Amino acid sequence: MKSLVNALNSNRFVLLLVLLLFLLIVPLIMKASWVSLVNEMLIMALAGCALNLMLGYTGMVSFGPAGLYAVGAYTTAILLTRYRFPFAIAMISAPILAGIIGGLVGWFCVRRSAVYFALLTLAFAQIIWTILFEWYGFTGGDNGIVSIPIPEFFFTISHCYYLTLIIVGISLLLLWTIVQSPFGKTLQAIRENPGRTEFIAIHLKRYQLAAFVLSSAFLGIAGSLFCVFSGSVFPDYAHWVKSTDMLVICLLGGFYNFGGPIVGSVVYILLSKMISKQTMFWMFFLGVIIVFLVLFMRNGIVGFLSEKLAPVLDKTSGSGPDEGTR
Amino acid sequence: MILETQKLVKSFGGLTAVYDVNLHIQEGELVSIIGPNGAGKTTLFNLLTGHISVDSGRVIFKGKDITKLPPHAISRMGIGRSFQRLNIFPRLSAFENVQVAVFSAQRKSRNVFARASKLARQETEAILKSVGLLDKKNIKGALLAHGDQKRLEMGIALAVEPSLLLLDEPTQGMSPRESGELTQLIQKLVGERGLTLIFVEHDMNVVFGISDSIKVLHQGKIIFEGKPDEVKKNEEVQRIYLGDEKGTWSSL
Repeated sequence: MKSLVNALNSNRFVLLLVLLLFLLIVPLIMKASWVSLVNEMLIMALAGCALNLMLGYTGMVSFGPAGLYAVGAYTTAILLTRYRFPFAIAMISAPILAGIIGGLVGWFCVRRSAVYFALLTLAFAQIIWTILFEWYGFTGGDNGIVSIPIPEFFFTISHCYYLTLIIVGISLLLLWTIVQSPFGKTLQAIRENPGRTEFIAIHLKRYQLAAFVLSSAFLGIAGSLFCVFSGSVFPDYAHWVKSTDMLVICLLGGFYNFGGPIVGSVVYILLSKMISKQTMFWMFFLGVIIVFLVLFMRNGIVGFLSEKLAPVLDKTSGSGPDEGTR
Repeated sequence: MILETQKLVKSFGGLTAVYDVNLHIQEGELVSIIGPNGAGKTTLFNLLTGHISVDSGRVIFKGKDITKLPPHAISRMGIGRSFQRLNIFPRLSAFENVQVAVFSAQRKSRNVFARASKLARQETEAILKSVGLLDKKNIKGALLAHGDQKRLEMGIALAVEPSLLLLDEPTQGMSPRESGELTQLIQKLVGERGLTLIFVEHDMNVVFGISDSIKVLHQGKIIFEGKPDEVKKNEEVQRIYLGDEKGTWSSL
């Protein structure tokens, strides 16, 4: 066991490469339905990591990530359907608009902390949902927008999959860079002790807002990708149930770990498909899973594993200064 | 004069926590503030650092009025502080605790693209060394011993390169040996860095050992200020501070 752990730890880079290679050949070795499933996992992994920038890294519990995810999805959908924008511009606009809306929403939300912050984010997400649901003339109301004119090239699932893989890959790389940067470390300090950061000359609210905007932009990318993948958008993308999905993904994988939401996304989507195939009571099992996680595995799957393996890892790893947080 | 307060007042409901406090602190001075529990010492610190708002009066630092500035702006101008209750970043390593503050001092906190682990290493290690934590740099803040956490907190405060440092009960909860070591450390750091220091302390060995001057705070007012010898001799101070237990100070 010990040698396995050592091997895993020292070969992180190799493992990542193997995973990437595997992801690259997924459309060649899997049925279309499985490719779709992996595609969905990638999108939710990005959404989870985007949320986790706030949740796990800055310590801001948001109940409304789906609102900004939906802003991204609807931006691409509306620009393509109503204004016939070029595909690339419709996609690039998604994170920009989600970032702007995120900035507006965040400006209000960061004025409060803890439970009040969480409730504000929930309220704003519900406002976004209501606008999408009621504004028939612009958003299609509860009918959503269907048959979005996505370029035909992406109708083929494998093409769509590669688009998702590339964009999710770049986005995760950017998020990784952010959390490893001085800015990212500062966010972690804010998570640990927001009050103290003000006395080391950190403009707390401004950093929290920056985290909010960045998180929103990446959520927007995820939403836009899902719009391209499914070819349609619905108000439910902004619903709190969707936000719960994202929160559970972070919780399941573990939010003190960059890879947590990625693992969480894979496990959550597999579970939801498997269980909902067998029974109508998926929500019941979801509830049980959440209870179990919160009571017994508070740091999620990744956290649980690394906790159990930590004593072994500590002895062997060349303990750099950044080992402490992850 | 590095810090001056003019008729500083703060009350909470009916309780006047700080009343008519006029401080005049010279550059390089080592000033201690003593007084019974509830005398308003911590409130005074909170007023000076912008943590709570002032009811009336002014705080002037290096000739600038900082009365209404938020904590981060005051901190940026060069007032650092430590806290009575431990105030570190528990799940970050000792190294990261200090490094985050160094980033802030070097105005690198907004850098999104560089790798934090490769930046400001020397500066961070120099500070860890000066507070005696270099060999424990990879230990998480929460797992350090109490005395080391106090040192770490001082390291965080120093990393922002303050010219005025406020320490709120730096030796609280320490053994006599630890507190002796920390006192020496404080003296060393103040000398090396040319700091002005104001500290709140209950340990009279520390207070009389290192202070240039002592302010006695009682019910929000400064009732006496002077050199350690003068404070020791003052009967009113003895009465208020120690109740009827006469003679305790003369043993010091």
